[in-house]
Amino acid sequence: MTNAAAATPSAIHTIALGGNPNCGKTTLFNALTGLRQKVANYPGITVEKKTGRCTLANGNVIEVLDLPGTYSLVPNSPDEQVAMEVLRGLRADTPPPDVIVAVVDASNLARNLLLVSQLMELRRPMVVALNMSDIASRRGLPVNAALLAEELGMPVIPVIGHKSVGIPELKAAIQQAVIPRLPAWTLPGALGQAVTDLGSTLTRMPTDERERTARRLLSHETAADLTAARLDPVIVEKISTITLDPGAVMQADIEARYRWIDGVVARAVQGSGFKAGPNLTDRVDAVLVHRVFGLGIFALIMAILFVSIFWLADPLMGMCQDAVVWLGKLITDGMSGGMLKSLIQDGVFAGVGGVVVFVPQIALLFLFLAVLEDSGYLARAAFLMDRLLAKVGLHGRSFIPLLSSFACAIPGVMATRTIENRRERLATILVAPFMSCSARLPVYGLLIGAFFGPAMFAGGPYASYTWLIQGGIMLACYLLGIVAAAVTAYGCKVILGRGEVTPFILELPSYKLPQVGEVVRQMWTNTAKFLTKAGTIIFCLSIVLWAMAYFPRLPSERILEIANQHNATALVIPVDASVEQEEEIRGARADDIAVAVAGAQLEHSISGRIGHAIEPLIAPLGYDWKMGVGLIAAFAAREVFVGHLGIVYSLGDPEEDSDKIEKLQETIRRDTYSDGRPVWTPLVAVSLLVWFVLAMQCISTVAVVKRETGGWSWPLFQLVYMNALAYLGALATYQIGSRLFGG
Amino acid sequence: MNAHLPHTVPTTLNHFAPGAHVRVLDVAGPLAVRRRLLEMGLCPGVALEVLRRAPLGDPLEVRVRGYLLSLRLDQATQVTVAAIASVTSVAV
Repeated sequence: MTNAAAATPSAIHTIALGGNPNCGKTTLFNALTGLRQKVANYPGITVEKKTGRCTLANGNVIEVLDLPGTYSLVPNSPDEQVAMEVLRGLRADTPPPDVIVAVVDASNLARNLLLVSQLMELRRPMVVALNMSDIASRRGLPVNAALLAEELGMPVIPVIGHKSVGIPELKAAIQQAVIPRLPAWTLPGALGQAVTDLGSTLTRMPTDERERTARRLLSHETAADLTAARLDPVIVEKISTITLDPGAVMQADIEARYRWIDGVVARAVQGSGFKAGPNLTDRVDAVLVHRVFGLGIFALIMAILFVSIFWLADPLMGMCQDAVVWLGKLITDGMSGGMLKSLIQDGVFAGVGGVVVFVPQIALLFLFLAVLEDSGYLARAAFLMDRLLAKVGLHGRSFIPLLSSFACAIPGVMATRTIENRRERLATILVAPFMSCSARLPVYGLLIGAFFGPAMFAGGPYASYTWLIQGGIMLACYLLGIVAAAVTAYGCKVILGRGEVTPFILELPSYKLPQVGEVVRQMWTNTAKFLTKAGTIIFCLSIVLWAMAYFPRLPSERILEIANQHNATALVIPVDASVEQEEEIRGARADDIAVAVAGAQLEHSISGRIGHAIEPLIAPLGYDWKMGVGLIAAFAAREVFVGHLGIVYSLGDPEEDSDKIEKLQETIRRDTYSDGRPVWTPLVAVSLLVWFVLAMQCISTVAVVKRETGGWSWPLFQLVYMNALAYLGALATYQIGSRLFGG
Repeated sequence: MNAHLPHTVPTTLNHFAPGAHVRVLDVAGPLAVRRRLLEMGLCPGVALEVLRRAPLGDPLEVRVRGYLLSLRLDQATQVTVAAIASVTSVAV
């Protein structure tokens, strides 16, 4: 250790934890920082930035940065890009750390050391935290930490993250971190010569960095490195004349590192080799990825996940919404009517309700995801499903986000974070809302019930098959969404990917028992992020939609007119009616007037006017202005369509009363245009179903996609694409249908 | 390393059935994919054990340097390997 320099302890302000995915880095981060941590995003991208504070033995409080897991400093995903940029000091928002703690999985030593070999070249003080030594020992490959420290030229501290074993020792070692000496990873023959030649021309760089830089330049690492190297134009010119195959340099470089690693492992691992027989992970895998049982168990796990976020969350969601509505009523009860009351009740509290209603689903989904990820099963799920999804250009990891989207696209879109490849992740986000979510069910229910229900087939030859027809149409809605998703994803592959093959190279980590604390922590941070980021947008847009339905107000003379129309028919009050009965009858009359006024108000409002204005646009789909108003309102959430139709038809909000659904179904069946044609026909219903399957009609999803993709371009494209597809789909349905069946 | 290689015809990884023990001879393909395969430890000379295919036939799973790695057949076609005759010669 002649050229190793100890870092002055007082100079340490920040440390960074770097390591491969699945090396136990997060558990170690938690053990170091306890609850003193915060999660944010790196500016402009959706990569998580986790920081925390930790007190060293000398009382100094330092900042700990948990870098995204990375296999290499040559990045392959946004996560790895960030880790590389931070460590190389290329990010203005995050200065490079004073000490790097390399977290190494002892049970997977060789591959973990490749990253360590790259970290050593950064010439920063380093410490190795050797995790999972217990597993390595059990497999008959115990790692001798002292020998490994000798080999690597830096402290190596054995730790067990979730038991906080070795933490004080690690903290002490951080104070004594050293810049490790650099092994010679010389490339063989002509390649080595080319590297030395180029290195000797890099006179502006410190001597000990020249050869390393030359190697990276010749193997075509990222453009960011070229600028960082502050290269002379003469040298750039020279590089362009070198006709060396960059792949050969790259391969020789990695091979040279692994040759060194094989030597280190041979000397530091003192076991005799594999213990006889399969280890725990092998035995579990024999069942979980078995040809037959594997798929069966997968189906069972997915069914449990689906049932939980679909049905288990449902009563909880109802409770959340009820609680908000109740609170809203409590506050507005004392208020006399008017705008403020409506704003608070129908704007603010409905908006808050629209946000918190998703919390149970999101929390449950992230609970499941955390358990699946931490146990190691998530990678197996991707392994099992990859073939199916690869055909349409998606990734094995797209499966769970898409399945979740059948409950709600919001948690589904949030769950795409496990997909590393950006194109595959964007494609998954794009198609997720095509999965028929639970908010579409009330609309499907209303339309299928009204036009394909018992009333339509009563007495006819199909009467006893009603349930089959209804179920078939419902199934067709789900299938249409899946087909649209598959076609869209395939289009993405062809257009965005330009036919290029995205690789699937996925580590299947050893199985572990998930840590309760870590699972709860992940569930909480994801839910909190939804509430703060997406929640704000959802809330604001809810207020806008409220205002569109509230303004302008119906003139008082119109209200009077409506009241007079109702009062024109005499109230029938039996002579023998008691006082209560009389009050009830008068109350019913007052309710009728209020409902009629609400309907007229909606027609008079901005929403109502838009509904009228877009009528020429939606008439070719078979819709009238009342459906237009419902479609506009459905942008708040699809199920609002049903409620708004109730108000437009002056029946009140059917969501408050299930009898009103049947009444609404009956009313729309009877509604006619001025020339006597029915407004609603089974064909119109099918056209509406097609619209609802395909349309992006949920501002909450738009808000979440904006958050997850880090900009407005993708959500806006998605909004335009899906609604254009829905329009064309509904148009084709109605136009072709009316020609075939005569409307 | 070459001295240990048996006299079998070199072929690509996708042709091997579960249970096969092979040694990597070369890795090809687009630069980024080739780099990642090498970084994951599939360097020439390393021994692999083909563990299984996914139930739908693709991807496949191998044991390399003591850990489990899955890759699509597309990637496996980029990895040239030769069969190792005897299982006892497999070491990390």
